[in-house]
Amino acid sequence: MVQSRLARYARISGSLLLAMAGLAGSASLASADDVIRFGAPLPITGPLAPEAVKQQMGYNLWAEEANKAGGINVGGKKYKVEIVYADYQSNTPRSVQTTEQMITQDNINFMFGPFGSGAAKAASTISEKYKMPTIAASASSSQVYDQGYKYLFGTFTPNDTLTTPLTQIIKAKAPEVKKVAILARNDLFPLAIAQEMEKSAKANGLEVTYFEKYAINTLDHSATLSQIKSLAPQWIFITGYTNDLLLIRKQMVDQQMKAAVVTMIAGPAYQDFIEAAGQSAENISSASWWHPAEQYDGKDIFGKTSNFVKLFRAKYNSDPDYGQASAAVSGALFQLAIEKAGSLDRDKVRDALASMDVMTFWGPVKFGANGQINSLEPPVFQIQNQKPVVLFPDAIKQGEFKLGVN
Amino acid sequence: MLAVQVLINALVLGCLYACIAIGFSLVWGVLNVINLIHGSFIVLGAYLAWGAYQWAGISPWFALAVAAPVFFVLGYLLQRLLLNRVITAPVLVTLTLTFGLDLILNNAMIYYFKADYRKLTLSPPTGSISLFDVVVPVDRLIATASALALTGLLYLLLRRSKVGRAIVAVRLDRDAAVLMGVDVKSIYAIAFGLGAALAGCAGVLMALIFPISPLTSSAYLGKAFVVCVLGGLGSVSGALAGGLLLALVEGIGSTLIGPAHATTLSFVLLIIFLVVRPQGLLGRKGFE
Repeated sequence: MVQSRLARYARISGSLLLAMAGLAGSASLASADDVIRFGAPLPITGPLAPEAVKQQMGYNLWAEEANKAGGINVGGKKYKVEIVYADYQSNTPRSVQTTEQMITQDNINFMFGPFGSGAAKAASTISEKYKMPTIAASASSSQVYDQGYKYLFGTFTPNDTLTTPLTQIIKAKAPEVKKVAILARNDLFPLAIAQEMEKSAKANGLEVTYFEKYAINTLDHSATLSQIKSLAPQWIFITGYTNDLLLIRKQMVDQQMKAAVVTMIAGPAYQDFIEAAGQSAENISSASWWHPAEQYDGKDIFGKTSNFVKLFRAKYNSDPDYGQASAAVSGALFQLAIEKAGSLDRDKVRDALASMDVMTFWGPVKFGANGQINSLEPPVFQIQNQKPVVLFPDAIKQGEFKLGVN
Repeated sequence: MLAVQVLINALVLGCLYACIAIGFSLVWGVLNVINLIHGSFIVLGAYLAWGAYQWAGISPWFALAVAAPVFFVLGYLLQRLLLNRVITAPVLVTLTLTFGLDLILNNAMIYYFKADYRKLTLSPPTGSISLFDVVVPVDRLIATASALALTGLLYLLLRRSKVGRAIVAVRLDRDAAVLMGVDVKSIYAIAFGLGAALAGCAGVLMALIFPISPLTSSAYLGKAFVVCVLGGLGSVSGALAGGLLLALVEGIGSTLIGPAHATTLSFVLLIIFLVVRPQGLLGRKGFE
């Protein structure tokens, strides 16, 4: 009885879904002539959902601004921007299928890569096969770009560009720092950053007394932190996402752990980390690819960095972080490339991206031979008085490095 | 001294794990439903504590008193209106239903609370107690004491009250309980309501210690599952024993072989228990 009812509901909802899909399909076909469709496979559900929301905020802001200005100018004709989202449920193999489906069935013109280095690398094989120009807005690992692909571009510099300036600042400002403890989330990006940190520390004559990984979804770090405390390192370097870092920071305070330097990547770049950590965020150092304090005068649709920040605040009532800004600049870069190419031809747009050398609100953008941006100097910053204060590069420096995290 | 610190950390954490698992164990034991929405209930309880403190300055202890009846009613209604329709269906159907409900609740929380992470920070902070280099955070101690009190209350309720005895009777022999005049549908709903209330209260306590995000629900659910298997279904003290064992294995494993392997180690333990002692440490047939 129950099963037959279930089957009936399934049939009814199935037909409804098909009907809705049909309507959606005909609607998009009707407007297919005067829009440029950008495919954005994102982990809208599952563990990476918060990151997907951030990416969407950046893409949507760009699309809104581009459409407000009449659209993208292609050889004198204006085209509206449409972003086609698809959920790959935080499942990397599914991101590959989604990418293929978008290219072969959803009639998209250009692509944004899926979230993070792992999924972007996996999906790039497909977009390369179909010669689809793709900008990865959140992939930093060099392995993504060292595949010799022609159609893949990325807005994040390699991971070592974050750890090297940080180590040099700390070496110059805190010569008493000799021992470093590194704790990394066992995940592609945080682990890659931690490995770069280990290299950078050794290259600068520091002793790495502890290097361990913690599993994704670890609820309690107290045993690990007790062990680090017993080694008395002067620099504690921890990677992970906001949730991990808040959890670890709270448990460090619980265990009364103190160190001359505490660095966390990538949480402190996000406003929600600073708000949730409160006083315990004080003097935590970090690095990221972009910061709202930067002052670039861009040739892109957003113009000055301050204008981008203003538009973002007006739409979302919060400050943008590097993830949101990277998504927005990826759209803006496509717009510049399409307008320069004066065509929607994939090869022409690809060539325009490859030869791009332009100033944007994100900073100077020039892609290396492998497609990864090589013109950007990512900022190093420290939380001082509940605000991120930029320490590097010198051109946008806002303050001096402060020692001591309690 | 490190060994003592690790041991104390594990004891405190073990009680928290027990608190996470106890409602899950009750529902599984009595209704034979693996309630996949349990983790999201915990997170919702944490949001309730956070919201009450953030917006109205209401202390988590008062939130605990609010969470219990609110979640009880929520669980009671959920069981009566939805789960009851499929309770006699194969376990896969109830599993699918609670999985679907969990997806809805979890995504609703992502939608309404946004992707931001929150942390309930008490002002002034509760601080830590230190003795000979061994440090114990006060909020964990308070949460542990509350978790133990909740566990004790459930134990008393099941042993001493009429409703509690009816719950145990339904668990032991559903048909005999019907013959004795027990309204099984009501008892199922009360047991599910109690499970939800315990999850909500656990969430309030977890808010003091862990950052709040809808995404942590899967971690809570995973811990509840492991604790139930280790401790054994059908026993309040089993949940406590399972929680302590899990925390000890994770703590010692993390110190000796590295934190990356602590979770693997707990799952290896889970498999060993499933093969060697499937009834768990203190599992019995009836829930008492």
